[in-house]
Amino acid sequence: MQNYSFDEHFDKYPIAMAYVPWQHFEKMYDDLDKAYKNGTIFPELNKPFTGRRCV
Amino acid sequence: MWCYEKRLQFPVKIKEPNAKLAQVIISQFGGPDGELAASMRYLSQRYSMPYREVAGLLTDIGTEELAHLEMVGSIVHQLTRNLSMEEIKESGFDKYYVDHTVGVWPQAAGGIPFNACEFQVKGDIITDLVEDMAAEQKARTTYDNILRLIKDPDVCEPIKFLRQREIVHFQRFGEALRIAQDKLNAKNFYAFNPGFDMCESCEDC
Amino acid sequence: MSQKEQMLNDIGTLDFVLVELTLYLDTHPFDRNAMEYFNHYSRIKNQMEKEFSQKFFPLTKNLAESNKEWRWGMAPLPWEGVCN
Repeated sequence: MQNYSFDEHFDKYPIAMAYVPWQHFEKMYDDLDKAYKNGTIFPELNKPFTGRRCV
Repeated sequence: MWCYEKRLQFPVKIKEPNAKLAQVIISQFGGPDGELAASMRYLSQRYSMPYREVAGLLTDIGTEELAHLEMVGSIVHQLTRNLSMEEIKESGFDKYYVDHTVGVWPQAAGGIPFNACEFQVKGDIITDLVEDMAAEQKARTTYDNILRLIKDPDVCEPIKFLRQREIVHFQRFGEALRIAQDKLNAKNFYAFNPGFDMCESCEDC
Repeated sequence: MSQKEQMLNDIGTLDFVLVELTLYLDTHPFDRNAMEYFNHYSRIKNQMEKEFSQKFFPLTKNLAESNKEWRWGMAPLPWEGVCN
């Protein structure tokens, strides 16, 4: 077991609430076909599934 | 109101039917964390949203989920095309087939029919957006589970696409929640319901 | 891939970019960069959709002008897929 003691910016992010980090649009995929196949135009949102068991 | 484009958002071209897989994937059609539940949830919640940006986002994501519903329906339809009676019996698909032949009916893999109890419209912006974030994660997990069962690349590709969309939607709902927080009092986000307590006349809302 | 399939694929790709930008702009309504991309791809996609609808079959009711037969009704349904 770990001693979780995260240091938060409580003034900006009070407790008893959920916060998702804000996306800033930097660039989109140059290859639009790749973006389409992946399901997003934003590289930072591309989170593929890799956990396959021995099926 | 809605326009219809006579094409799928992402292609579904399955060459090999598979009744066993269809029985599982049908959960994303009519199941609790499926695309029908998602679209109905967002398209219903949008009416009581106090902020235009959030109502607009719910409308746009709800509309995209209808396109996903169409994709999943297409997948189930193509997986149950040209089945022999042997395949129907051996796969256990016979229990569904007896009531629906190879029609596509909104139910979960376990058999529970689609119903409105599978989503909530609480009428409170924070509650509804947190429900939406949870819904996207539940859908993503369901697609993870489906991916473990698939070997056919024709089925894999549209499922991977649909799964990635859930992650993007989660980010957008998260941003909508940040927008709502920005408009409320950080000392106490729960002091009142901005969609209900603020409205004394039409202009207030 | 036939020309019809290629064109449909390109329209699908472009429309997808527009959907992604739409959702992004819904929460970032003042992002000029994103709006420029949206405007640019919107023009291309609309033009392509018009060309496709004239050449093959109408993709929307607005592009369904018909003379001899009701082109909208005769168009293939999206779930038909490929034959085995």
